[in-house]
Amino acid sequence: MSQATTVAPASPIAGVGRLLRSPLTARIASYLFLLVAWQLLSLYEDRFPPPADVFGFLWIEVTGGSHGGIVRGEFLEHFAATLPRFTLGIAISMVLGIVSGVVIGGSKIAEALLKDTLLMLVALPAIIWAFLTQMWLGLGDTAVVITTFLSAFPFVAVNVVQGIQAVPRDLRRMSGAFHVSSYRRVRHLLLPAVTGYLFAGFRFAVIIGWNAVLLGEWFSSSEGVGYQARYWYDANRYKGFVAWVILFIGFIVLIDRVALVPLQRRAFRWRDTQVKQAQRRVEGIDVAVTGA
Amino acid sequence: MSSVPVARASRGGRPPSLVTRRRVRGIAGLVIGVGGFLLVWTLLSALIFGPFTLPPPSRIGSVMWEIVRSGQFIHHFVPTILRLAYGFGLALLIGFPVGYLMGTSRWWRAFFHDMTIVAGSIPGITYAVLALVVFGIKILGPILSVGLVSMPYVAINVAEGLDSVDHRLVQMSDAYGRRRASIVRNVLIPSVAPFAFAGVRLSFALAWKVEQLTEVFGSSSGVGFQIRHEFEDFSIPGMLAWVLLFVIFMILVERFVLAKLERYLFRWRLEDRP
Repeated sequence: MSQATTVAPASPIAGVGRLLRSPLTARIASYLFLLVAWQLLSLYEDRFPPPADVFGFLWIEVTGGSHGGIVRGEFLEHFAATLPRFTLGIAISMVLGIVSGVVIGGSKIAEALLKDTLLMLVALPAIIWAFLTQMWLGLGDTAVVITTFLSAFPFVAVNVVQGIQAVPRDLRRMSGAFHVSSYRRVRHLLLPAVTGYLFAGFRFAVIIGWNAVLLGEWFSSSEGVGYQARYWYDANRYKGFVAWVILFIGFIVLIDRVALVPLQRRAFRWRDTQVKQAQRRVEGIDVAVTGA
Repeated sequence: MSSVPVARASRGGRPPSLVTRRRVRGIAGLVIGVGGFLLVWTLLSALIFGPFTLPPPSRIGSVMWEIVRSGQFIHHFVPTILRLAYGFGLALLIGFPVGYLMGTSRWWRAFFHDMTIVAGSIPGITYAVLALVVFGIKILGPILSVGLVSMPYVAINVAEGLDSVDHRLVQMSDAYGRRRASIVRNVLIPSVAPFAFAGVRLSFALAWKVEQLTEVFGSSSGVGFQIRHEFEDFSIPGMLAWVLLFVIFMILVERFVLAKLERYLFRWRLEDRP
């Protein structure tokens, strides 16, 4: 990865110095720093479990071992309960988000009438949907799915609206003047402009939906990842709680870095002039969205 | 639909400019759009769901008015806003040095890279519940979660701002014998400030939501606590009234205070935003 490790050092001391200055060392140092900070935090506040305890718990949870007594690791069961709800919620929000985005982006009147309502929906915190659906529907799958859908949907719609409005007006006029067929107009003008935004919207939906599904399960479910975090929290076993927090953070970070970011980068790759900027944006977190 | 206001505007003698017309159309759209939304809501409440499941907007409006009139609003908004301000202060205080390190050294950029990336996709509930475990229901919890949420945005944007500094300008100032302090004051800070401010604006929308969530999970005052309280009382109108008051307030702050401030501070720049 770093050049320092491949180039044979002239003198051992210079080699060590270069190794210390390499980015890889910096990364390793940052993880060590976090671990030490965590350990210190647990010493300062004894309710907060030290890393060793949490990783021990995680190991039992993932391998399906026993936590002592009758409680055993249930990593797979709870992810299996959460993922269908999550997927369904995201699917509904994508479909309805694309439809309403096309309507709002395509018509001036619809935009004037509906844009403020949409921005209001974007601003609403996910917790309110979790509370409302719990009151309306009680405990169960439906409340969680609807919470996920309602929280993620406005973000998809907003991105689709932006995508449609990003179609260059000159190109649209020119294709009108040169009688370009509507198939080619959709294929070469509309789709490339919208695709990038659509993927961005999808990424927003997944990240925000994940937060919403956890909130929904925390308040109105009796199984699933969010419920399991709450279970250990209520049981005052904070190492179990922190272990589940790590599991749900790890899941979304993995999905984001392995699937969503490459997809979004690929969808935006045709925009030569803006590639550097777009890449930096995807790289950085100025478009990333901590769901809340 | 916008013919009446336009006609009124043109009575002044000159035909209305494009900007005025666009603004008038925007306001008309807002009024009609929100009016239509409230109408649909009222109809749904009266005809389909019933006033208990979905209270009509008039009911929520009267609860909101009651909250404002009784002084509850001030009583719970002040702590929430103060925590938000402290949290942002913390984010700036730590974000600036971190951003400076990231912008000036490759090693430190690599050091903070993974942390800032991961911070961007952590669900907000994490901050809320961890703050609860670490600090209990003390006031420190919400402050720290605001700080943690906003800090990476500030740091990343400060680093980007340093990247964008015109090095020829720095070299020229050096050549003409300007002192280091003068270069920092007249070249570095003006080029970094817009980026830093953009970072603050970006993270603001997120920070108040996370703060409110932290208050829902563990606090004994503030808007989030009040939302939790209404939820436990099974009062849908009360809950919606608090949420809407808070959301409207925050949108106003974002739109008017922050956006105006940004435009004012950076009015010397030619292009709009970084």
